[in-house]
Amino acid sequence: MTYIVTENCIKCKYTDCVEVCPVDCFYEGPNFLVIHPDECIDCALCEPECPIDAIVSDKVLREENEVFLKLNRELSQVWPVITEKKEAISDAAEWDGVENKLQFLER
Amino acid sequence: MDRNTNIEIVPENVALPSGLYEETVLEVTHWDIGLFSFKTTRSPSLKFHNGHFVMIGMLVAGKPLMRAYSIVSPNYEEALEFLSIKVPDGPLTSRLQYIDPGDKILVSKKPVGTLVVSDLSPAKHVYLLSSGTGLAPFMSIIRDFETYERFEKVVLVHSVRHVNELAYRDYITNILPDDEYLGELIRRQLIYYPTVTREAFQNQGRLTELIASGKLCEDIGLSQLNRESDRAMICGSPAMLADTCSILNDLGFNQSMHTGDVADYVIERAFVEQ
Repeated sequence: MTYIVTENCIKCKYTDCVEVCPVDCFYEGPNFLVIHPDECIDCALCEPECPIDAIVSDKVLREENEVFLKLNRELSQVWPVITEKKEAISDAAEWDGVENKLQFLER
Repeated sequence: MDRNTNIEIVPENVALPSGLYEETVLEVTHWDIGLFSFKTTRSPSLKFHNGHFVMIGMLVAGKPLMRAYSIVSPNYEEALEFLSIKVPDGPLTSRLQYIDPGDKILVSKKPVGTLVVSDLSPAKHVYLLSSGTGLAPFMSIIRDFETYERFEKVVLVHSVRHVNELAYRDYITNILPDDEYLGELIRRQLIYYPTVTREAFQNQGRLTELIASGKLCEDIGLSQLNRESDRAMICGSPAMLADTCSILNDLGFNQSMHTGDVADYVIERAFVEQ
């Protein structure tokens, strides 16, 4: 069981989730965060911290989010860990809720 | 089972992952066939809020095997204390239950959690509602001076199946009221209400039923739970949590949705029956 970061995080990258993670399992890319599925302990603390509801449990994963489960697994193995909150991307608010952001994911 | 086959002592020359402390077990108490608690040393740099949890664990096949545990001890104490069930085939507790004083365990460096008094808005009373090992964080909270500054009455409810599972009962009823520093506050402001579901006891019945029926408040001499005068903190199994939240929601209480969200009640989101 794990939580995963989904599409709405792309180009927003608020990092409130990072502060509450007891196992520091968030990894940071240029414009997206991911959770390492093998490190996540399913404690549920991060989910309500995300101001734009980008974090979901794999227990209630919708079909369109399955690609993000794969991306969380893949990218958490190459990106550096992030353990402290930082400023969101400057125009984050404008990108909250924008559809089809996967095309903008930077690796 | 030979405990030596189960425990891997952290070898002197193995570097621990940077997020973990190695602590030494100081004392172990077996409450019941399925329940034990233990004290460990505490790194002076570990800071936490009463009600927080950390990850604790052991090395298994050379890797840390960690689980979330609420901290039983208050944050001003030198030692750390934890309460655990024993699951025969539980990956961690099947090993952890055999620890002895002098053994090493691993403790994460980042305590977190949602069961903090600071996320409750001001009111007269606070109800600490627990089942089983859900008592753990409240042992810390009932020894926090701030709890008694914020609330006139602190009601600790602990629901278990069997009397033997009422961990810390003697400590709460006989030792804490005589504590040099906390004693007076405990005597004046703490109401302890243990309840047992599967055998005869002074208080019987499930916590949820005791709240919903009004019996709990009647027994302790307070008016029925209401949003104007009362706040609550909940820690227990997922089923207990869901049922208790549902009762509070029906009474018009608002739940704190995340850390820092001040509301009528807070819940432990990370409780896992390990």
